[in-house]
Amino acid sequence: MIGIGEYHIGSVPMMAIGLGSCIGLILYDRERGVGAMVHIMLPESSGRTDRPGKYADTAVPLLVKELTGLGCKKQSLVAKMAGGAAMFEYFGNNLNIGERNAEKVRAILAENHIKLSAEEVGGKVGRTVAFYPGENGKVTVRSADGVAHEI
Amino acid sequence: MDAMQELGNIGAAHAATTLSQMLSSPVEMSVPLIKVVDVSHLADHIGEESAALVVFELQGEIPHGGYIIFYISRVSAVRLTNTMLGLTDPDRPLNEMDESALLEVGNIMASAFLDATAELLGFVMLPSPPSLTIDMAHAAMQSLIAQMQEEIDEVMLFSTELVCEEHKIDSDIIMMPEVSTLNRIVELLENMMKSN
Repeated sequence: MIGIGEYHIGSVPMMAIGLGSCIGLILYDRERGVGAMVHIMLPESSGRTDRPGKYADTAVPLLVKELTGLGCKKQSLVAKMAGGAAMFEYFGNNLNIGERNAEKVRAILAENHIKLSAEEVGGKVGRTVAFYPGENGKVTVRSADGVAHEI
Repeated sequence: MDAMQELGNIGAAHAATTLSQMLSSPVEMSVPLIKVVDVSHLADHIGEESAALVVFELQGEIPHGGYIIFYISRVSAVRLTNTMLGLTDPDRPLNEMDESALLEVGNIMASAFLDATAELLGFVMLPSPPSLTIDMAHAAMQSLIAQMQEEIDEVMLFSTELVCEEHKIDSDIIMMPEVSTLNRIVELLENMMKSN
């Protein structure tokens, strides 16, 4: 289970529960059957370095560095993401953080030439995302009223 | 901390009385808990269970002061609106009538809580119009934390449980203040204690 701002690298199943505006981002190496998941809360770190997994702009380079450190090739990494919802619309200071999170993740992945092969983002619903590196990198998403489906 | 708990006590006691009147049956109130939660451990406190959250932004003297939340599990929410609407089916889906009823209850509870704290401290916090979601509780709380004004790694939750035994309704009233609000409350409480 991966809490807000946390990440995990390896080949064991990983899960981030109850994503609202947060993003669960997965990078998977098809060649080696290992991967990583990070639970991102905000788009920009604005220079903060203590929790790199919390921000989209630092989380992506962090996972790439950790995975390439294990011997993964950057070109064999594929990404999937879920979350980025807007559950509350009516507050004056609403900045649609969910959408900004998703946009930032897409931009940083593109900068790193990593393909985003699937995403389930936006809308108004919370999601739980699970990643099974041992099952060909299977990623499932579940909402409050639904069964888990693969993306 | 004791003073903060007392503040929560008075606020929640007003809310409990109001809920009790709406349900025409007794409502028990827990000791208010003050939890400081690291965001990475939020899931240890609030899971993915389906719940209704009626959320108000704290406004007034401090324009974006944090949030006050009426939290009720989905199961309890149906029991609550059944009691209010004179229905009996515990397994029915929630509809627009229920949403209106939940908003109404949330509104009254938040106002009761904030009236009591304003009276005690002379610090006016007004509830914004409410926003309701019925979804994974963790997802809803996480979304609120992400949009707080001051970026934080730890969040303070004042939480009081309100239970109606007769109808098996379990709910919480949760205040999640911004740092600025918290500082103001602490300052006012300290002044009060000095003058006593």
